Amino acid sequence: MAHSDEAPPAGVTHKVNDGLTDVEAVALVVGGDGEAFGILIRRYEPGLLRFAMRMLGNPDAAADAVAESLVRAYRHLAQCREPARLKSWLYRITGNRCRSHLARRHTNDIPLDEVPAQVLADTSDSWVQLERSEQVALVEHALAGLPAEKREAFVLKHVEGMSYEEMAAVTGARIPTLKMRVHRAREALLAALEALV
Amino acid sequence: MMESHDETHPRLIEAIELLKSTPRISVADRVMAEVRQLPAHDQGGARRLGRWLTRPHAVTFRLRPAWTLALAAGLAAILLIPAGPPRPLSRPGAAEGIAQFVGHFPGARSVEVVGSFNDWSRGMLHLRDDDHDGIWHAAAVLPAGQHEYMFVVDGERWVTDPLAGRFVDDGFGAGQENSVLIVRPAAQR
Repeated sequence: MAHSDEAPPAGVTHKVNDGLTDVEAVALVVGGDGEAFGILIRRYEPGLLRFAMRMLGNPDAAADAVAESLVRAYRHLAQCREPARLKSWLYRITGNRCRSHLARRHTNDIPLDEVPAQVLADTSDSWVQLERSEQVALVEHALAGLPAEKREAFVLKHVEGMSYEEMAAVTGARIPTLKMRVHRAREALLAALEALV
Repeated sequence: MMESHDETHPRLIEAIELLKSTPRISVADRVMAEVRQLPAHDQGGARRLGRWLTRPHAVTFRLRPAWTLALAAGLAAILLIPAGPPRPLSRPGAAEGIAQFVGHFPGARSVEVVGSFNDWSRGMLHLRDDDHDGIWHAAAVLPAGQHEYMFVVDGERWVTDPLAGRFVDDGFGAGQENSVLIVRPAAQR
């Protein structure tokens, strides 16, 4: 597993200086230029890892899920019916992978002892970062207590910043259902946070 | 008791900001190493040549008048020769069979089949509707066994064949299905 020093937060546009749209990059890959798949990886890897990490609560499992999803996406890229919606397609594949992983655990919930306390920590810098990593661990702990469907809806909406239309494309669930899941997840997360503090 | 479940609740906003931190890991090298082990989507020069030959290209001939007359005479001779019977589908091998594709797409400008047998590549197997009744059909020799496929209508709309006997989830969630075709070896028929 390689480590990256640059990890832009959600909501930051990943400006990959290649000048290609998703449709153009997909056309290159499908046309035989396998290296062009690297453009798509650089563009979507941070978000997919963040999504998988929030779903699985374990960095190694998240890395496995995203790596397997990206290889699967490469193999079936010619089947991507709407390359303009590649982002939704990639999140859908990754979401399926995460669900399979959770199913193998025989529960949709993340065991609380699997939530690493310092997943995002970089403790060498300052007390501020240490404090922040503790706060992140606390929130992750609360998120891990939500059922997988609610956790997924909450993360896609509030962490990944997707519209309900995009979420429907990713999850296959109907928009009213997703709205209800997000609402319930907000309630449950707030309750969990208050109980933890 | 909580004061509010609204998404503007300060504690919720703070939690969301914390969750937006991105894990400091990368799988890019690992994925690209695996991708490089896989066959490229385009199988090389032969397929590119095939695509070039099946795409329209403008070809300009500049002929002297005398050659034009000779060429016209030659073409007339060719056109006067009676045409033979339609070229039959190539004979399937022992481990191959003939697959028939039929779809009802009234008003469609083009219909083609993509599937596991052609790496889901477009431009390789087109259906025809010679009498313009909306019934499009094609036949192809395929390896015996189970194949997944979809119709692509007008070059952009992917359609599951409603007449297929079997369907399988396309594996990408969202409840979309591929049609399934089972080709029997010609030798067993």
